[in-house]
Amino acid sequence: MSEKEEIRLNRLPAITWYWLNMNESEITSEPCDGEAEVSVSVPDGVTESRVRLSENKEVEDLSTQPTGAGAAFSKIFDTAGTEARLYTVPAGLKADKPLKLQFAFADGKNSLDQVALDVQKNAELTLVMDYASDEAASGAAAVQTKFRLGENAVLRIVQITHVGSDFSFVNDMGGKTADNARVEVIQLNLEGQKVYQGYQIDLAGYKSSLKTDIAYRLKGTENLDMNYFANHTGRKTTCDINVSGVLRDTSSKVLRATIDLKKGAKGAVGNEKEDVLLMDEGVRNRTIPLILCTEEDVEGNHGATIGRLDESLMFYLASRGLNREEIYEMMAAARMEAVAAKIPDEETRADVEKYIGTVSED
Amino acid sequence: MGKDKPIVKDIDRSMYDFVKKEDDAYRTEEGLTPEIVLEISKEKNDPEWMRDFRLHSLEEYNRLKLPDWGPSIDGLDMDNIVTYVRPNAKRMVKDWNEVPEDIKDTFERLGIPQAERASLAGVGAQYDSELVYHNVKDEAAEQGVIYTDIESALRGEYADMIRSHFMKLVPPTDHKFAALHGAVWSGGSFVYVPKGVHLDFPLQSYFRLNAKGAGQFEHTLIIVDEGAYLHFIEGCSAPKYNVANLHAGCVELYVGRNATLRYSTIENWSKNMYNLNTKRAVVDEGGKIEWISGSFGSHVSYLYPMSILKGRGARAEFTGVTFAGHGQNLDTGCKMVHSAPDTSSYVSTRSISKDGGISTFRSSVVINKNAKNSKSSVSCQSLMLDDISRSDTIPAMDIRTADADVGHEAKIGRISDDAVFYLMSRGLTEEDARALIVSGFADNVGKELPLEYAVEMNNLIRLEMKGANG
Repeated sequence: MSEKEEIRLNRLPAITWYWLNMNESEITSEPCDGEAEVSVSVPDGVTESRVRLSENKEVEDLSTQPTGAGAAFSKIFDTAGTEARLYTVPAGLKADKPLKLQFAFADGKNSLDQVALDVQKNAELTLVMDYASDEAASGAAAVQTKFRLGENAVLRIVQITHVGSDFSFVNDMGGKTADNARVEVIQLNLEGQKVYQGYQIDLAGYKSSLKTDIAYRLKGTENLDMNYFANHTGRKTTCDINVSGVLRDTSSKVLRATIDLKKGAKGAVGNEKEDVLLMDEGVRNRTIPLILCTEEDVEGNHGATIGRLDESLMFYLASRGLNREEIYEMMAAARMEAVAAKIPDEETRADVEKYIGTVSED
Repeated sequence: MGKDKPIVKDIDRSMYDFVKKEDDAYRTEEGLTPEIVLEISKEKNDPEWMRDFRLHSLEEYNRLKLPDWGPSIDGLDMDNIVTYVRPNAKRMVKDWNEVPEDIKDTFERLGIPQAERASLAGVGAQYDSELVYHNVKDEAAEQGVIYTDIESALRGEYADMIRSHFMKLVPPTDHKFAALHGAVWSGGSFVYVPKGVHLDFPLQSYFRLNAKGAGQFEHTLIIVDEGAYLHFIEGCSAPKYNVANLHAGCVELYVGRNATLRYSTIENWSKNMYNLNTKRAVVDEGGKIEWISGSFGSHVSYLYPMSILKGRGARAEFTGVTFAGHGQNLDTGCKMVHSAPDTSSYVSTRSISKDGGISTFRSSVVINKNAKNSKSSVSCQSLMLDDISRSDTIPAMDIRTADADVGHEAKIGRISDDAVFYLMSRGLTEEDARALIVSGFADNVGKELPLEYAVEMNNLIRLEMKGANG
């Protein structure tokens, strides 16, 4: 990008009334200063290379893989000529350590990074992506992650976001699964003034599955804008999307979550669940969970609870000597901890738990 | 369990799908121009403000864009729609015998006079663009209940009341078809239920569109005063033509303090109809609006009754069932706006898609900052009866206060094999078991209707199940 441009992103696959302002979001794309500083730890057997996705025949399909942010946003990477970091996990390799990518976003800079993963047949990989900047950093960053999974492949993606109080960050993802492949996504949003994140995952392979756990804790005037799209085209595919979060002060969030049960996806099952705790008077929560269905032999479920803490639970905890603020903080930490506990990499999990402040004293 | 898969037949519409000769007394040209609007205004003998209102609405109509978020309405060409058709009848009468024979026969076949005798406090019958019959029983009239056509009210003693309420809840700027309605509206009912009056029997308006290629734009305005109760039933049907017909009615409901209004609709327009209807209620302190909605007809529907809870403790319930069959794209749902403390809303809907039909449940729940201690619960369930149909749910929630509790659940699926198995173990055949499950699925609306109407609805849904090679 050489000039400022308004870009629409996180658009719903099926839009609704405009007055709700939930169909999509808009960001101002600043001229790009290049890539972020990334420290990389690659497990044995996994190869790393730099490629332009559209110019590399072997992973050409990844260049057209749709993502949560959408086509207009993806174009930024094409226009900027971004070279993706391509990681290939060869067939049958079960990586013994996680692939770690630690992004350090510089103050006042605007960076673009692209990551691509080719996890081949029967291979397994855990990918940990840590997005960080200085606490008071300003600027903007976007990281786009694309992947394809071969038959029986397993990919666990852990993304931790803690960027500055004046920072805008887009965490975009898109991928496709072959037969029996499995994707597990864990996203923890710890800090970030304006964060946009989401995915489109095409569950194309027979019995392929997607499991997503997302937790966020927003405060001040932070805004989190999400768009998750589970696209079921394969038979007996499954997805579980669980989102849990806490809003404080005057923070706000939008969750768009779509399960699309396409014709031919016989036996597919999609589940979405959301739990939002509203802690302060100035918060704003927007949720739009879509289930789209063109197949008879499927099941789609969605459930959401949004609001205050249950009064009887409040009463019980108060009777145990906790004040209102302590109860709320405890509940907020519990929601984050519940997702953090699922992080498969011990070191990352310990770091996150420390950050959340929920490490058991004993 | 056998391999044969039951087929769900289409709704039996024979009782609605009969055509009467178009023997109207007057109709405008096709299309929509200032001249046509002025012609309608003159025909209706509008007061000056209404004529100006119509022209302003037309400007809005020309300014506003068509919606791009719902079903396609490409097949609707306003240049081919006749916006006003006056039937060959006297202006509204109160004596059924004065209604012309063919029109009378139409409503008799639809069971309207029988229903009036059996269970209604009053009836209005609209044929094309005009009300041809309107009557309210003495018991209701003696309690001060006003039930009349809106045009009479516009010129009579309620003129000020009409002027201060007409299209105030649904302004012409709301959307393109609200503007269209403002420009060419004709017919409809005005109801006023005085303070403290509890009307034991429902009032009913029935809308019949007989003219090919015409539009119907009736306006319903209901004011239920403090502590009063009303159940209003709306029915509609039309014969099927091979050209597009249009229904762009408007319903505005004012529910007073501690008052309750139940608004029931069984919509069964023919499958060439574009049903672009707007319904809205505003509810004062302690008041309650109950929407009961059955959507079975139309080629395309955009229908989302809105409840604005503006008084402390106001409540809204929406109970709906939508049945989309071959050639139908029914986009239905509701909107709830909480704008006062202690308000609550409850939504329960069922959608059934079959034979290539498309059913979309679309909703919004907005809880504003001042709506402390508000609660909302939304439940939508959809049933897919084959793999050539489509069913979508698009529910939105916008919560702007921490002091609220909102719950939402949605479910899409097919008939459960376990449930069929259980019923078969109790002695039912597979066909009977499936039929029972489908009927029961839509029962959330049926059980809320008066018995006579629930029976009508069940007849309407007459789902014939039969074994077939599946």
